[in-house]
Amino acid sequence: MAAVTAPQQHRSSKTESYVDNKRKEDIRHANIVAARAVASAVRTSLGPKGMDKMISTSSDEVIITNDGATILNKMQVLQPAAKMLVELSKSQDSAAGDGTTTVVVIAGALLEQCLILLSHGIHPTVISDSLHKASLKALDVLSAMAVPVELSDKDSLVKSASTSLNSKVVSQYSTLLAPLAVDSVLSVVDPATPDMVDLRDIKIVKKLGGTVDDTELVRGLVFDKKVSHAAGGPTRMENAKIAVIQFQISPPKTDIEQSIVVSDYSQMDRILKEERSYILGMIKKIKATGCNVLLIQKSILRDAVTDLSLHYLAKAKILVIKDVERDDIEFITKTLNCLPIANIEHFRAEKLGHADLVEEVSLGDGKIVKITGIKDMGKTTTVLVRGSNQLVLDEADRSLHDALCVVRCLVAKRFLIAGGGAPEIELSRQLGAWAKVLHGMEGYCVRAFAEALEVIPYTLAENAGLNPIAIVTELRNRHAQGEINAGINVRKGQITNILEENVVQPLLVSTSAITLATECVRMILKIDDIVTVR
Amino acid sequence: MAIDTIFKDEASQEKGERARMASFVGAMAIADLVKTTLGPKGMDKILQSTGRGREVTVTNDGATILKSLHIDNPAAKVLVDISKVQDDEVGDGTTSVVVLAGELLREAEKLVAAKIHPMTIISGYRMAAECARNVLLQKVVDNKADADKFRSDLMNIAMTTLSSKILSQDKEHFASLAVDAVMRLKGSTNLEAIQIIKKPGGSLKDSFLDEGFILDKKIGIGQPKRIENAKILVANTAMDTDKVKIYGARVRVDSMAKVAEIEGAEKEKMREKVQKIIGHGINCFVNRQLIYNFPEELFADAGILAIEHADFDGIERLALVTGGEIASTFDNPESVKLGQCDLIEEIMIGEDKLIHFSGVAMGQACTIVLRGASHHVLDEAERSLHDALCVLSQTVNDSRVLLGGGWPEMVMAKETDELARKTPGKKSLAIEAFSRALLAIPTIIADNAGLDSAELISQLRAEHQSEGCTAGIDVISGSVGDMAARGICEAFKVKQAVLLSATEAAEMILRVDEIISCAPRRREDRM
Repeated sequence: MAAVTAPQQHRSSKTESYVDNKRKEDIRHANIVAARAVASAVRTSLGPKGMDKMISTSSDEVIITNDGATILNKMQVLQPAAKMLVELSKSQDSAAGDGTTTVVVIAGALLEQCLILLSHGIHPTVISDSLHKASLKALDVLSAMAVPVELSDKDSLVKSASTSLNSKVVSQYSTLLAPLAVDSVLSVVDPATPDMVDLRDIKIVKKLGGTVDDTELVRGLVFDKKVSHAAGGPTRMENAKIAVIQFQISPPKTDIEQSIVVSDYSQMDRILKEERSYILGMIKKIKATGCNVLLIQKSILRDAVTDLSLHYLAKAKILVIKDVERDDIEFITKTLNCLPIANIEHFRAEKLGHADLVEEVSLGDGKIVKITGIKDMGKTTTVLVRGSNQLVLDEADRSLHDALCVVRCLVAKRFLIAGGGAPEIELSRQLGAWAKVLHGMEGYCVRAFAEALEVIPYTLAENAGLNPIAIVTELRNRHAQGEINAGINVRKGQITNILEENVVQPLLVSTSAITLATECVRMILKIDDIVTVR
Repeated sequence: MAIDTIFKDEASQEKGERARMASFVGAMAIADLVKTTLGPKGMDKILQSTGRGREVTVTNDGATILKSLHIDNPAAKVLVDISKVQDDEVGDGTTSVVVLAGELLREAEKLVAAKIHPMTIISGYRMAAECARNVLLQKVVDNKADADKFRSDLMNIAMTTLSSKILSQDKEHFASLAVDAVMRLKGSTNLEAIQIIKKPGGSLKDSFLDEGFILDKKIGIGQPKRIENAKILVANTAMDTDKVKIYGARVRVDSMAKVAEIEGAEKEKMREKVQKIIGHGINCFVNRQLIYNFPEELFADAGILAIEHADFDGIERLALVTGGEIASTFDNPESVKLGQCDLIEEIMIGEDKLIHFSGVAMGQACTIVLRGASHHVLDEAERSLHDALCVLSQTVNDSRVLLGGGWPEMVMAKETDELARKTPGKKSLAIEAFSRALLAIPTIIADNAGLDSAELISQLRAEHQSEGCTAGIDVISGSVGDMAARGICEAFKVKQAVLLSATEAAEMILRVDEIISCAPRRREDRM
């Protein structure tokens, strides 16, 4: 080949088609089909009119949910590529908390387009690179569409939380839950690190009974436990002085094995008396500090409390809550602004926490303990979720978690974007236009990317029982005329300016859905073999 | 037959032609398996484990694929071994070495079929390898003296290594991470000091290099969350009461009060131990085992930051980077070396809180925090980054670099071809075969990228006829390009190791003329 003609040759060799052998083609095909199957399984749960899934787990437990991450998590898929989609929804859950269904649906649609591209003989790495470029461009478009939001603007925050809640079982309670989620997140924002919210500072306590309506935000602590009633101790304490103890109020036990030798009856009497006086001694010390509420950590070594010690504690008018988990201690001490006490010798007044009221409240058939009016309370919040049955309760918990995540996203990245399929259709339009100025394979792949994004409005409309084709074409039309915020109003069944309808979501949810879905699809595309190994 | 009486039942023997065929076929099958992962447009493989959990790994790393395969063919095992050695020695080129060995054997098979004695082939291969190595030695560039140029060399090498991996999109970012990390090591190849932490969430771009050390643990309750000028005691000790380790040891007492006394004594022992630890003049205590509630409170009272249940790897590294020693007895405070650092604080990455030690005694130490969409991505990113770090740390010591993109193979092929023409006898056929095997590597790279390999290779060969040519395959634009201008570099050490160990492995397999597989070890050996 002459050197002069070389440049032309080079260009032509780039468009050289990719020749797959049969096996690789089969494997790639199998991967894509499996991944798409997963995506279509969760597809119908997208959007405010999406349906729920009932999952019967291997342990005969029934879960009803609308949360993509939960559905996929419980599906127990085996095919490796399908597993990657499950992982994908998990990542979206940890990155943004919401949009777990969206991300899987987008990935499914992208894979479908890739299948067509592959059948045209385009090299997988070319597709992969173009997808990456398209996703970067998509992020720019999304950021340009976004509206900045201030944390003081509570209305917007509530709006986005309720958008997230609208697609859940608990949607009719979104007016209650959305402000609740916003309040609880805002209350744990640390002024020192305003961009960080640790959701572990928000404790969700689930209690069966009542309806979701009774869900409340408690500024203080809630224990799903009874106050110890063994000996008629107090169940309500005002001006409480609370101690969190990590030792046990029971007869002593040593680490080394011990036995007490009893030789006659009088000795037995004496031992009983000693035991009593030993416990009494401890309780006197506790009482001396003015403590009147005890939270006792669960102990595996021996009984944390015995009937005898409970009796004395009741006599001393000390309210006792036992079996507190060790993992919860940090949260409790942070909330109460006190220190845990690991030894009776260290029981000092300055380690106690103070609260206005500690009381046991009957809820339905169970009882809970509430601690309110805590002095110098740490930056934590507790949400008490109620529900008429276990399934609703669990779903409410998951939905609330999603809503909390949405608010957290807004705290981390303070931009809002319209919902209702508006960003996707706008992306599709702009990328489609961009594809036309690109050369070669790239333009073709970007075009496919743009088409894949239409799956979101399409599915939204389909799930809402609207005519998807009519809606999507109408949407395209409106966007082409410059109404970038036109989206599907599922409630009215028509297309409106979605920003005015208060359907908004955090920018972070959309951006991370696009980037994560693209990353996952690219990974699946690059696989050409499945090797069984040890 | 006589054989039946020599060997035990179930032992098998294959001879001559058949044995050679078996080993050729096995080795080539392995080479073909990993062939498609070669080069910047190579594909990945899913490794599906048959064990519990059916875990899935997605990888492009030849060594990782090969070492997890089930292999029965003895010759294939030789190839797996050379890829493992390549991984240990230089870290990269694990696929290339296997592919080259496979190609050498493929050529050898043809020669054997043409009635050339394996020994003749071997001696021809040896001459060719020697000649190829010499030509590489002549062509190497060494920029050690010029710091700026050296750094850009390193960057180029890192980018070339990473471009075939999952990190290729953000290769500049990761290349500078890797180069920074390796430059901190100041010539030592101790990669221990570079810690890689994987945290799901975010995207690969959010990965960053952090000076100092990060421990994935929580600080005890009620203890300071921030310490300046920390003195750290790293320990591996049980913090509950010292138990007597005699079976059935027990104490007999005759009253409750005595039991309480014993309990008190046990507590006292713990307190003593804690006092001893505090007596070291420390303000941070890291233990590999659990610290129970009671000692934790004592530490909190003394204002000491106590971290419990740090994993073994974590404390060893911590001891290394802070310059301390892992202690298990606390009787002689003078003899224990304490670790030091300027600042300990709690930081948040993604959703998790971690403890960050900055300004550590060992200045080389640093941590790379990887973020990514899922565990698959993170694991693969770690493997890729590890490859890059290995290559870079080797290059810092042996700073000779070559161009990449099939350039070294072309140069070597050209030189061995010339040698073949000068060499009389059958050997020349083997040398020629060697040159063809070398050409296979750029061919595969082009094939994997979906390019017309025959066209490209012939162009490349024509270009290489001129002296001082720097042409190679530019996979991104799909044409022959100037490798020096594109900044595609490879470490000399990697290439040399690929060349020599592939030749050696091929030679070894060629020499085989009989495979005896022993009977499975089941019964007693009566022979």
